[in-house]
Amino acid sequence: MRNLGSNVEVETPPSPEVDVLNEVTKPWQVMILNDPVNLMSFVTLILRRIFGYSEERAVELMLKVHYEGSAVVWTGEREKAELYVQQLQSHQLYAVMEPVD
Amino acid sequence: MELVKNDDSTWTLSKVSELEHLMLSRLPDSADPTGCEEAVDRLYPSPIAPDAEIDGDKSFTLENDWKEFIEPDLRSDFRDSLKVVADDLGKSSMTKEGDLNQYEFIIPTAHANHWCSALNQARIVIHHRYDLPSEDGLLDMDPNPEKWMATLQSEIYGMLMEFLIKKVLWV
Repeated sequence: MRNLGSNVEVETPPSPEVDVLNEVTKPWQVMILNDPVNLMSFVTLILRRIFGYSEERAVELMLKVHYEGSAVVWTGEREKAELYVQQLQSHQLYAVMEPVD
Repeated sequence: MELVKNDDSTWTLSKVSELEHLMLSRLPDSADPTGCEEAVDRLYPSPIAPDAEIDGDKSFTLENDWKEFIEPDLRSDFRDSLKVVADDLGKSSMTKEGDLNQYEFIIPTAHANHWCSALNQARIVIHHRYDLPSEDGLLDMDPNPEKWMATLQSEIYGMLMEFLIKKVLWV
């Protein structure tokens, strides 16, 4: 909001630059969705390999996918999220991404 | 079927029965999703989460870019793995165990990831092509011989994947 020197206050529309900045800096989350085919050991192996997670962390995420239907496995900038989704899909894991609210 | 890691450079798949050999010989064809839309959608899914709150135009652009730039790479990777496995499958040796034939494959360790990829592709395609139930629903599956054969094939591939993960790929 800014004051124009009168008593009238008008709402300042966000500039396109701000929109672009928000778009770039907004974090995205990478998720794995449950799939009845992928083996638990395979999902664990791929999580360890791609993200470098410990065996305990990878198993915890794998079990969350299995029992809850999905798990957020990484959050960060969009470009990197795209790369991770591609890597996970290249191992046939059901990986997707979405912006974080 | 038995899997042994020989050293850092090879692993051996031995004591492969006639049935297991038949199932393995079907691997490259079984991994082809042609004609099964559900399998194609599963192997090449949209990168956007189903419930994502994302502007329609942005979603459209991301999906199109994915189809144009990423999906061809995935298709190429999957094809390469199937080709490696098909070549390995052509190099078996046969031995006799009593009256029974057994087969053996000596496979470079560098091919292990291709094998995992090919086996997993095939399991996904088989699951969708034959509309197989999840593990919990197997006992209620209708008595359809094709479905039972597909289930057996998928289970054999799954067992081999478990061997590979535990004995060759796990570090």
